[in-house]
This record gives sequence, C-alpha cells and structure tokens, in this order.
Amino acid sequence: MKMLPRSPALPLCGLLFVLTLGLSIGWLDRQLPDTLWLSGLFDPDLADPRQLVVHYAWLPRLALCLLAGAALGLAGMLLQQVLRNPLASPTTLGATSGAQLALLLATLFAPSLLAGREWVALFGAGAALGLVYALTWRRPLSPLATIFAGLVVNLYLGAIGSALLLSNPEALKGMLVWGGGALAQDGWDGVQRLLIHLVPATLLLPLLTRPLAVLDLDEASARSLGLPLRHLRLLTLTLAVFVTACVVSVAGVIGFIGLAAPSLVRLLGVRTLGRRLFWAAALGGLLLSATDALLQFVADGGGMLLPTGAMTALLGAPLLLWLIPRLAPKKSMPGASGSGLTMRRHPRPRRLLTTLVLVLLIALPLALFVGQGSDGWRWAGGELWTIQLSWRLPRLGAAAAVGLLLGLAGTVLQRIGQNPMASPELLGVSGGTVVGLLLAGLLLPAAPLPLLLTAGVLGAVLTLALLLGINRRSGFQPERVLLSGVAITALLEPLQSLALANGDPRVQQLLTWLSGSTYHVTPTVTVALLLLAVVALGVSVLLGRWLDLLPLGQAAAGALGVDTRRAQRWLLLLVALLSAAATLVIGPVSFVGLLAPHLARLLGLVRARAQLIGAGLCGALLMLVADWVGQQLLFPQELPAGLVATLLGGAYFMWNLRRL
Amino acid sequence: MNMRRWLLVLFVLLPLSLHAAPRVATVDWTIAETMLGLGVAPLAVGETAAYRSWVGQPALPATTVDIGLRTQPNRELLAELKPDLILVSPLSAGIVPTLARIAPVRTLRFDAGGGDYWAQLRQSTLELATLLDRQAAGKALLDRVESRLAAQAATLPTTPPLLLLQFIDERHVRVYGRHSLFDAVLARLGLRNAWQADTGSWGFATVSIDRLATLDNVQTIVIEPLPVGVDARLARSALWQNLPMVRRHPPLHLPAVWSFGGVLAGERFADQLSLALRGRP
Repeated sequence: MKMLPRSPALPLCGLLFVLTLGLSIGWLDRQLPDTLWLSGLFDPDLADPRQLVVHYAWLPRLALCLLAGAALGLAGMLLQQVLRNPLASPTTLGATSGAQLALLLATLFAPSLLAGREWVALFGAGAALGLVYALTWRRPLSPLATIFAGLVVNLYLGAIGSALLLSNPEALKGMLVWGGGALAQDGWDGVQRLLIHLVPATLLLPLLTRPLAVLDLDEASARSLGLPLRHLRLLTLTLAVFVTACVVSVAGVIGFIGLAAPSLVRLLGVRTLGRRLFWAAALGGLLLSATDALLQFVADGGGMLLPTGAMTALLGAPLLLWLIPRLAPKKSMPGASGSGLTMRRHPRPRRLLTTLVLVLLIALPLALFVGQGSDGWRWAGGELWTIQLSWRLPRLGAAAAVGLLLGLAGTVLQRIGQNPMASPELLGVSGGTVVGLLLAGLLLPAAPLPLLLTAGVLGAVLTLALLLGINRRSGFQPERVLLSGVAITALLEPLQSLALANGDPRVQQLLTWLSGSTYHVTPTVTVALLLLAVVALGVSVLLGRWLDLLPLGQAAAGALGVDTRRAQRWLLLLVALLSAAATLVIGPVSFVGLLAPHLARLLGLVRARAQLIGAGLCGALLMLVADWVGQQLLFPQELPAGLVATLLGGAYFMWNLRRL
Repeated sequence: MNMRRWLLVLFVLLPLSLHAAPRVATVDWTIAETMLGLGVAPLAVGETAAYRSWVGQPALPATTVDIGLRTQPNRELLAELKPDLILVSPLSAGIVPTLARIAPVRTLRFDAGGGDYWAQLRQSTLELATLLDRQAAGKALLDRVESRLAAQAATLPTTPPLLLLQFIDERHVRVYGRHSLFDAVLARLGLRNAWQADTGSWGFATVSIDRLATLDNVQTIVIEPLPVGVDARLARSALWQNLPMVRRHPPLHLPAVWSFGGVLAGERFADQLSLALRGRP
C-alpha cells in the first residue's frame, strides 16, 4: 500500500470518493433514521420498505456502479496499453455497440439465447472488435487507423440498431431503457453475476502486467526481449472484450468511463503499468458511482427516468474536450496526413465528371418510376405516373441536394484539415446542429420555425468554433480534431437516450428525423435546398484555389498570397452553413460527408475543384439511391435515407478502408 | 373552417354510404379498433402485423391494406388506394397537410390530453360514428359498453386500491395513472388507482421497481405481455418478491390489452380485470 499516498491520481480519486460518500450519506439520511442504517445496509428487516430499498436496490446499485466502472476503466487501460493507443476504449473500438447489437438481435430473433446474456454480448463485442481488426489488417496498431475503424464500426452497428428499433418499437422498448444504461437493481443478482465473471478475469491480470509493461518501450525492443507479441496481444484483447461484454450484459451501455478513466490516469502522470491499471479501475468505479449518486440524489422522486450510462456521456464529453489539448504531444501518424491515401490520378477529370452527371440523370427517372405498389414491382404508367412523380420528386430532390451539400462540406473539411477522416458528422458539426435544435425546442416549446433553424445553425457554428479553439495550439492534428468532434457528438446521445428511455410516443418521430428521413420534406424546401446546393457548389469551386494551397502549409500558402487564417475561417463558416442546412432538413446523416470525398478521390479526382464537384455528385447519387432503396426495401414501411446511406456507404467504405 | 370541411366530407360520404361502405383509411390503431366496433372495416391501417399482436381484438379483416409505419404512412400507396377519408390522431398533426392532398383528413382525439378520459372517448366514438354514418351503431356501442361496465361494477368484490403496471424489463415498469384508459375504466368500475403521482400527459410513468416499495395495501395488476425472460427473473428478484404490496396480495396477471385503446379495449380490460378480481383469494 506504499504506492497509494504519493500517487498523482490520489487527489482526484479522493475528491470523487468524498463526493460519492457525501451524496450517499445524504441519500441514506433522507431514507432512514441513522439508528437503522446498519441494519438497513446489512441485515434488513424486510417488513420495513425503507430498509428493503436500501438493502436490495440502493446498496447493490452502488456496488454495481463501483464494479462496472472499475471493470470499464480496466478494460480501457488494457486496450490502450496493448494497442499503444491513447484513445482506445471499449466504446471507441466498437465493442460496446457490438455487444448491444448482439443483444438486440437476440431479443428479436432468438430470445432463448438471452439466458446467457454474457455470452451473447461477448460474441457481439468480439465480432465487432474482430471487424475493426480486420479493417486495419494492413496497418496493425496504427492508433489512428484503429480508432477510425472503430468509430466507423460503431456508426455502422448503431445504424443497424436504429433500423431495428424503428421497425419494432413495441417489442424493443425494454432495450431502450437498458441501452441508456439504467442501473436500477432488484437484488444482488446483477452484482453476483458480474463478480463471478470478473474475479477470474482479474486474476489473470498480474500475469499480464509485466509483459505488457514492456510495450511501453517500442515494439522492436519488446520483440528483442523475446515476447510472443501476437499471443500477448490476443490474450489481452480477449480479456478486455470479455470484461466489457460482462458489464454491458449486466448494466447496459455506459458511455465514456472506459475512455475517461484511463486517459485521466495517464494524463495525471501515473508511471508504471501496474499502478495505471489500479488507478484506472479506482477512478472508473468512483467516476461512475459519483455520477450515479448525483443523479439519484437529484432525480429522487421525479417521474423521469435518468439513465446513468447516458448521463456519464454528458459529463464525460466536456472532460474529454478539456483533456484533448493536454494529451502528451505525439508525432503525427503516418498515413494520417494523406500520404497513405494517395490515389491514382484520373487522366481526364472533365470526362469523368460528365459521366457522373450522366449517371445521375439516368438514376433519377429510374428512382422516380420504378418501385413497388399495391400490385408488386412495376414501372409506373398512366395515373400512377402522376402520383409517384408528385410524391417522389421532392424527396429524391432533397436527398440529392443534401448529398451534394455534405459531399462539399466533407471535401472542404478533409482538405483544410489535411485529415482524411474528417467529415461534418465525425467532427460533430451535424451533432452540434441537432443539439442546438433540441435545446431550443426543449427550452422554448413554442419557438417559431425560423428561431429553431437559427438555433441549429448557431449550434453548428459554435461546434466549429469550439473545435478551432481547442485545437489551435496543437496545430489541428487530425487525431485530436477528430476526437474533439466525437466528444461533441457524444453530447447528443444523453439527450436522445433520455427521450428514448422515457417512452414518449413522440419519440418515434424524433428517431425518424435523427436517422435522416426525407418523409417530411415539402416541395418548397426541396427547391430552396437545391438552389442552396447549386450556389454552394459555385462558391466552393471559386474557393478551390485556397483548398489546393492550404494543404501546402502556412508558409508556402502565405508566399503564394493566401492569408491562411482568414481562408480557414471562411471555409469553416461555409462548412457550418452547408452541414447545418443539410442536417436541419433530414437530420444528421452519417457517412455521406465522409464517403463522398473519398469516392471522388478513389475515382482519381485529386485537384480541389475536380474533387469538390466529384464529391458533390457522388454524395447526390448516394443519397438518391439510398432514398429509393429505403422506400422499396421494406415496402410499405420505409427506412430513412440517411440510415440506408450509412448501411450502403459504410459497407463500401469499410471495404476500402481494408485496402488502404 | 372546420365546418366547411366537415360538410364537404359529409357531402362526399352520404351518397357513397347508400351504395357501399365508405373507403376509410387510418394510421391509428385506436381509430381502427373503434371502426371495427362500429361495423366498418377500414380500407387501410398502419402496421397491420403489429396491430394483430398488440391490439388483437377486434381482429382486422385480411383485406385491410398495410400502409406502413403509423408515423410515416406510405403516401404513394394511400394515393393509389384512393380513400374517401383519412382519419388520424393528434399525434399525426405533422403529416396532416400532406395527407390532405390525398383525401379529406379528420383528426380524432381518443386520449383526453389532460381532461376527462371517458368523456373524450364517448365524444370521439360518436364523432367517428357520425363520420361513418353509423350514428345508431355508435350509440349502441357506447350503451353496451357502459351498461356492461356498470354491471361489472355492481358485482365486484371490495378490493384494495389497484396498481396497474406493465413490465419493461425486470427492474422497470410502466405504471398507469391519471389520463390513461385504464384509469378511466377503474373510475367507472368504482375502483381506486393506487398510483396518484404525476404520469405526464400520456397517462403512464416509467419507474424502477424500488419506487414501489412504499406501497403496502395495494393489489398489483400486471398487464401482459411480459418481455422475454422477465417471468423467471422476477421469481429470483429479491426486491420484487419482498415488496410489501407483492407479499400482501399476490399480483394478478391480465392478458394484453392495447393501453392507448378506445372503448372496446376499455371493455375488454374491465372484463378481464373483473374476472381476475373475482378469482382473488
């Protein structure tokens, strides 16, 4: 115990401990007279409902928080160590969403499997991590590539989950409460289940600590010490995933603890691996229990369900934003600044762009007139022609316009940040729009539409400003910018989970919008959006020179007469406007803004102007197809275009990610 | 402005009702249920498969067309079906303007939105009957249900206040209180609802079961379906098994009833509840 008093992590843990203890005592004090505390905690008189609640609901919940938080902190630390990646965590590597999706699928299609929830969750988490691993096969352990693949897998699995929730709302309402990480307990069952699985896992740790610690050196020296790196890695990964799966199956989805606890411990400067593991577990447990105690104290007796797991994300996001600029400086990752992504250049970009326009022109009438109706598949003729034209044209037009806007926004972001992973959704610009809109809607229920729209645009602008402020000092290192974006997007989740867990019937509508549906688009909006898209295309092509020069660096660009600061600011404002406009109409669409610029690049459009136009056209085409597929696939039900775009685009993107 | 549309609808419907049943589409299950109670088969309903498992009775005829999600009815399909009238609940307010391009749309409110639930049900049922030109059937339906409720009320044994809940998982329940159909039926049966806390405008609160520990002399009514595995896990749940109300009066289980339903769902609930209460030890 000699290491405890001097550890740099002690003050923070102590603070959280005092907070948890104080809140717990405060809560107990409300519940029971202090003469009954001991019996309530350990030897309850079951006829007294107050003691019953203390013993079978409150105390197991506290124990569960400590255990689950510690387990997540431990899992995060193991992942960070073995992947040598300061951003690794069960959440950022897709393990959590894999476990969640597996449980969702089991609930729907094979409920008998749920007897072994842990194993279902383990399978899902393992499969997700396996996918991430497969995607980064060529560049094992490149931290940025790994995290990026993890985020992509996360988005993808999340999209499948949303599709299931949208089409089975009644059957899955229990999953919504669990998915928010509601920690209410009904006895010691959950704690026991967690303990049974965690104790053997923890016993393995001392065996792993020493070899893992060698990874603090670089890989070559580790290998020269004769370590079977591959086996070590596999064993550690399996252990971390197992621990995560156990937590998810018992306590639901708890965001951010697995990232925040290890990152904080590292940041506070705890040196050796053994201590880091210890303090990550301690901090994780205390972080979760303090959050939970706070929520219980605040929400006591209210009619609203506040799922703790979702709320940790609310607290974790600002923490992470604060933390990013303080991460120890690291050299930029190879492959991150575009060098690994250079593509064959198309000899005749003009011709290629013309072809893209032609494809779009052929796709439009097909999408308009082919489809299912009351008598199955058909080509609409006669009267049906008018019906389909009047209903589909506005939707397809809006989808295409949104695709174009996001393609442009994505290209601009990727070029100025020299960050191939940048996109409006990953940088949190779309998320910021939604947060602005939701907050305005919640705080001013009677707000008129223009005010709501302004709030949305303001959200986008503020998000970008925040990103700029946080990352100015680090010189916009792709990794950090991306991480800040993820943290901002994470602010959205608690708001959403809160609405979902409380089962308001209006939630379905919110969910529809959040997954990017063109259902509510009116012809006027479509016309406005198309006009905006054309103007935006013109403006960004005009600014194409900036985009060609900015990646050369401040000095070179300055020498060629470009004020980089000013150029950046204007371009970012443009991005904010474009993505806010797209988001306001059909919700935060994932992947299109990320995918379209890559598609253009893969096609060989390398120069800024050509890439901009190409990305715009690819985005439009993708959304057009997505909107059509979404309406035909489950006819007469429909899937939102944004969701389909994620599923289509994500699959293609992962395929290419593997090749990069 | 409502009056004019109203007359227009009547004008459209009157000649039709002489020849054939009106072609009425609805996205809402409660409206569909009440329509069937009035003897009119809806032309189209949203999510027919889910209707069969969550509302069940009265059964939808096989000819009723599925028009997709209730929140997003397939408008191309609706336009192709050419209904004479589309009926929606206030939840669909956002899509009324576009639906109105297909056929006249009428909004019927079956939940009370904070007012007297049963009075609202009565009024909407009669309104629906008038729209369908089935005024006599509407009155008959209400008379039948209300006299049945009255008869049940007269013969019920005395019972402690009832707590109506539906399990979301083994640790969370929806409790039905004021502004819910079930509460309105309890009132007509002369029974007391044990849940007097706020339940929001949808008539239910989502709570974890430790919040139920303070209830004592209360008869628990569990409305099925139970989510998968909850039965077994409740049997092992120390908290649930030791809740004062559960120990004092063993919970009674009722078969599934659509909790946001109309008078027919209310009648079914009353029947099942009375049956269960009479069988109580």
